[in-house]
Amino acid sequence: MRYALLVLGGPYSHQAAHSALRFAHAAIARGHRVGTVFFYHDGVYNAAHFAAPPQDEPHLVDAWRELQRTQGTVLQVCVAAALRRGLLDAREAERHGKRGASLEPPFELTGLGQLLDIGQTHERLITFAP
Amino acid sequence: MLLHLLNRAPSSSSVHQDVLRTMGEEDGLMLIEDGVFGAVSAQVQHFPGLEGRLFALREDLESRGLAGRCDSRVIIVDMDGFVALTEEVQRTVSWF
Repeated sequence: MRYALLVLGGPYSHQAAHSALRFAHAAIARGHRVGTVFFYHDGVYNAAHFAAPPQDEPHLVDAWRELQRTQGTVLQVCVAAALRRGLLDAREAERHGKRGASLEPPFELTGLGQLLDIGQTHERLITFAP
Repeated sequence: MLLHLLNRAPSSSSVHQDVLRTMGEEDGLMLIEDGVFGAVSAQVQHFPGLEGRLFALREDLESRGLAGRCDSRVIIVDMDGFVALTEEVQRTVSWF
């Protein structure tokens, strides 16, 4: 089955991101595809390019990247939620006169409308909230 | 048929009352994260009439030291079992 996950909780402050990641790995182990993870509200901090947690702790941002690399999972970030929180890709940084991008591929800034599409193009959508 | 996901303990939030008011007769309730506090014997009375469709996530029970204190009316599932439950229902509803 094709799964999508909606992550509303920020990393290291709530369990939501951990739960979603563990769910993704378990779904893949059962033969499913995790097609898309959509990050919204404080969940957008999961895409923070400059995240540098201590080396003996799970690196959630890298774990999402790894999911994209190994499973082709699309990582979408709500652009309105991200910009408010200082997460800008190169294009948005330039548009807003900021130096440096705090969000990099494989994370993609996208509109909330994408979330509606996800609901129609995936067979399951599971929400992990703070 | 829906699977409801609850991540709040009944002692710290009243959202479980909203869940119970909303649940259909065949719906399942999956306790995850701090929701698993509701699975221990002293708290499970908050979820009456859900025998056979009340679940708790093993990993979250274990990480809180509650694995041995789960009430016998609660069905313990691991992450694999959680995914299996989502296969059986078309939609899940998350409460928080």
